[in-house]
Amino acid sequence: MLKICTVYFGDLYTPDYVGKLFNSIRRNTSIPFQSVCISDNPNVEADLVLPYNHFSDVKRHWHKLKFFSPNFADQHPGDDIIVMDIDQVITGNVDDLIGHAVHDNELITYGVWWNSSLDTNGGFYKFKSGSLKYVWDDFIRNPEYWQLYYYKNGHVHFKYYGEQNYVNWKIQNREGEITKTPEEWISKYHTDFNENCALNTMYCDKFGVDYMMLDDVNENIKVVHFTGPGRTIHDYDTSWINEHWK
Amino acid sequence: MRIICCLFGDKFNQWHVDNLKHMIDTYSGIKYDSFEVITEDLYGNWYNKLQMFDKFRDGENLYFDLDIVITGKLPNLVRKEFTLLNDTWWREEAHTPLNSTIVSWTGDVSHIWDKFKADDIYYLEKYNKGSDEFYYREVEYQTYDPICPKFNMDRLDTDYNVCTLGQMHHVMEEGWTGWWSKYFL
Repeated sequence: MLKICTVYFGDLYTPDYVGKLFNSIRRNTSIPFQSVCISDNPNVEADLVLPYNHFSDVKRHWHKLKFFSPNFADQHPGDDIIVMDIDQVITGNVDDLIGHAVHDNELITYGVWWNSSLDTNGGFYKFKSGSLKYVWDDFIRNPEYWQLYYYKNGHVHFKYYGEQNYVNWKIQNREGEITKTPEEWISKYHTDFNENCALNTMYCDKFGVDYMMLDDVNENIKVVHFTGPGRTIHDYDTSWINEHWK
Repeated sequence: MRIICCLFGDKFNQWHVDNLKHMIDTYSGIKYDSFEVITEDLYGNWYNKLQMFDKFRDGENLYFDLDIVITGKLPNLVRKEFTLLNDTWWREEAHTPLNSTIVSWTGDVSHIWDKFKADDIYYLEKYNKGSDEFYYREVEYQTYDPICPKFNMDRLDTDYNVCTLGQMHHVMEEGWTGWWSKYFL
């Protein structure tokens, strides 16, 4: 079975983000999957909702790492596990993305075309159930240390950020394989108009197309990720978001 | 005989107390007269456990942490002298070899509480990694033979019928399943 897993907590986003993500994936794929969400709000829409424990030693996005354990979320040997951030809009068919082949000790993650110091993007992880269990097992031995490590060392600028840094380092450290999806499949969107223009230009130059986003999204793009601290989808009122995010 | 546990703070709740009682009643074979829960949160940490030496000054006493798994009949754990676990058969000694996941004594050992309470601020700072170092440095104690190993997520250790979860207490949360699940409430 394929499980697509998310984490929802706090009040930056609204509970409908979860249902909109899963609904938009289902509209854009022929591949059956079970939707799973760790949530502090019981009103999220998913096939399996598991409680987000605010009193846990595990903080914020780091709950995503639980899915690396085969003992979490009713995983079974042979399952394919995808972990996604909820701040994403599905704009094209994702059969090739969520159906991407994966083998043991391999992580499939977004290839990105903008500057990134990491080989891993926390917006999308796909792996064989249990084959990367060391990601969770090694983290939970000392969660306080890892959750602040990348902040204290200046790799990230917000407290408790750095989960994708840890995943990237841990898998490389254990000689796991990191495979990136084609870069043109993913886009990101900014609040700043000039920044969006620059991103459009960069995308067009890199992939030889006429536009990344105008009134619609380029047909090569499957997912738009609203990356960055504090950035939300519901603050925008553009035609392509209204069309795809429901 | 008295069973004792502690419940305070946010990490554990009534389910954990009920779960401990369930495992004791269903699997351990322990017969007891009362099941006591200490809930007064004087220190906001595990030094709260020391209250048991003040509250219970007679008879046989057996204390358990809430984050354990009991999988079968336990040996007689009641002791005359103040007794707790020594973990060094499965881990490095670190700041203390002791582990108060399981504690027993008979009669009055309130001198432990009295010593701590008389200078609690000093001891909280001096032994800020936990109360087990206080026992190690400041109190006369006995230790059990190896009876309680560390939890192993991958397999049930059939040589022992109790194990301590330690950092792995998240497996008590909803969503986690494994060999231990059938022993929980």
